Amino acid sequence: MPTPIPAIQTQHLRKVFRGRPAVEDLSLEVAQGEVFGFLGPNGAGKSTTVKMLLGLTHPTSGRAQILGQPLDSLGIKRQMGFLPELFRFHDWMTGREFLRFHGQLYGMESADLERRIPEVLGLVGLLGREQERIKGYSKGMQQRIGLAQAILNRPRLVFLDEPTSALDPIGRREVREIIGHLKEQGTTVFLNSHLLSEVELTCDRVAIVNRGRVVKSGTLEALLNPKLEADLRVDKVIPALQSALSAIARITEQNGERLTLELPAEDALPAVAEAVIRAGGKLYALTPRRESLEDLFVTLVEKGAS
Amino acid sequence: MRKVLLVARFAWREAVARRLVVAILLLTLVFVGFYLYGTNALLHSFQRRASALGRELPGQSLLFANATLVLMGMYIANFLGSLMAIFTTIAAVSGEVDSGTIQSVLPKPIRRWEFVLGKWLGHLSLVLPYMVLLSLALMYGAQAITGYLPPQPWNAVALMLLSATFLLTLTLLGSTLLSTLTTGVVLFMLYSLGWAGGIVGSVGALTGSLTLKRIGEISSYIIPSDMLWRGASVYLQPEALRQIQNVARGNPFVGTEPLATGYVLWVGVYSVLVLLLALWVFRQRDF
Repeated sequence: MPTPIPAIQTQHLRKVFRGRPAVEDLSLEVAQGEVFGFLGPNGAGKSTTVKMLLGLTHPTSGRAQILGQPLDSLGIKRQMGFLPELFRFHDWMTGREFLRFHGQLYGMESADLERRIPEVLGLVGLLGREQERIKGYSKGMQQRIGLAQAILNRPRLVFLDEPTSALDPIGRREVREIIGHLKEQGTTVFLNSHLLSEVELTCDRVAIVNRGRVVKSGTLEALLNPKLEADLRVDKVIPALQSALSAIARITEQNGERLTLELPAEDALPAVAEAVIRAGGKLYALTPRRESLEDLFVTLVEKGAS
Repeated sequence: MRKVLLVARFAWREAVARRLVVAILLLTLVFVGFYLYGTNALLHSFQRRASALGRELPGQSLLFANATLVLMGMYIANFLGSLMAIFTTIAAVSGEVDSGTIQSVLPKPIRRWEFVLGKWLGHLSLVLPYMVLLSLALMYGAQAITGYLPPQPWNAVALMLLSATFLLTLTLLGSTLLSTLTTGVVLFMLYSLGWAGGIVGSVGALTGSLTLKRIGEISSYIIPSDMLWRGASVYLQPEALRQIQNVARGNPFVGTEPLATGYVLWVGVYSVLVLLLALWVFRQRDF
């Protein structure tokens, strides 16, 4: 199988602002068709990295390619979309004028734009509001029209910088659906987000950056601890129960009637319930939990800070 | 080139949507109205006094009065055009940077120079036709009332347009480099400096001070707006009036000698250099 060209590839990308490095040494690769989560604490260099990839900021050193082309290639820019974190648009325009203007900037033909504008308006849920001025839009609507602008040109690669920061839970779900839709069409999505739960739900692969370097990257399954933990609550912990549980799982924590167990696999869960009943105990709660992305994130960032 | 025109059209639409065009047109209408009303009043007062004394209209005095009135009107037209050139352009690029709208524009398939050139073209196409219209309304409006038209109105307008083009280009350079507020302050100071330089030069001519004349000359090479107006004013004065001014020497508001071709060429080259510098500066910037 020939190696397909990566959607994004950076080698030792570095940006120094007035002697202070914003991005230290960033190397990463994003495959085509992937939904890629780019995570990191505030000031880790996420936005600067995105701005470099989009040609808004010139790298101090290092190399980067998008779809195998240099960053300043107009051909590549025609196939990219971007929703900035601080989505400020020309708010004296109506939503429709705004999309037309950006479509023309992409170099789209008029007839194509006429077809495409209602499509994207429908996708972001703004159909019927396009004749209103953006000035009158709510923050959420402004973010939606920004998203419409980012996917207007049917891009092969979309950069979304905190795309749901102004949205309510329903809006967030809709954006997740749009990302899923883009993925189905084979679009690569580069997602910058603080909302780790959202990243967990949408991304195939993530990279965690801290102080301008990638500290960890990989698929979510590979990054997150495969071991299963479970919280157990019973009426009282007696020695018979303790020994019965020890045979199935490792008790990592005990706090009165609450226990934390580490299980070898998911099918050990029913056995835990059975053991509680057999030992004459009453089962109040048995909740499995996996290590979350948040746990991993906090561990990595705190390790980096110390 | 398509992208340049797209950005230029965009600048126009913004000026219309922000009601800038309407505001300027309305106020200009008021200004031209007052001016022509005054011209009319002056003519009538001359006629009344002449008929009260039972005389013919005094040809020479009337000519001087009319010529001075047109000269003053055009002086103000030139001033308004200069202000327009500066104030409509101060935010052309910096406004997009300050507000963050630049972040959704530059990642598009458009070269940075296309963006700046488009802004330049858009604003220029707003200011220059305005100056032409205003000048024509003043000069031909006055002619309709008094019958007087300056000797070479088109040469004068051409130099005024060159001056506005230079100021606009310099403002654009400021706008690619500085924030909107700073651009406005810097440009206004530079414009005033050019003005002051011209006055210092006139005083030098009047008193025969070589140093002052030299200062005026140097400033006219750096900020040519005042010198270009003096050059333009030469074409707006009848020969007889010009001779009187020449004898009196040192009127800080009008010139008496046509500009050297070399100087006009310099301003053209200078403007192109400033524009190229603006394109280059914008290319280097990080957002």
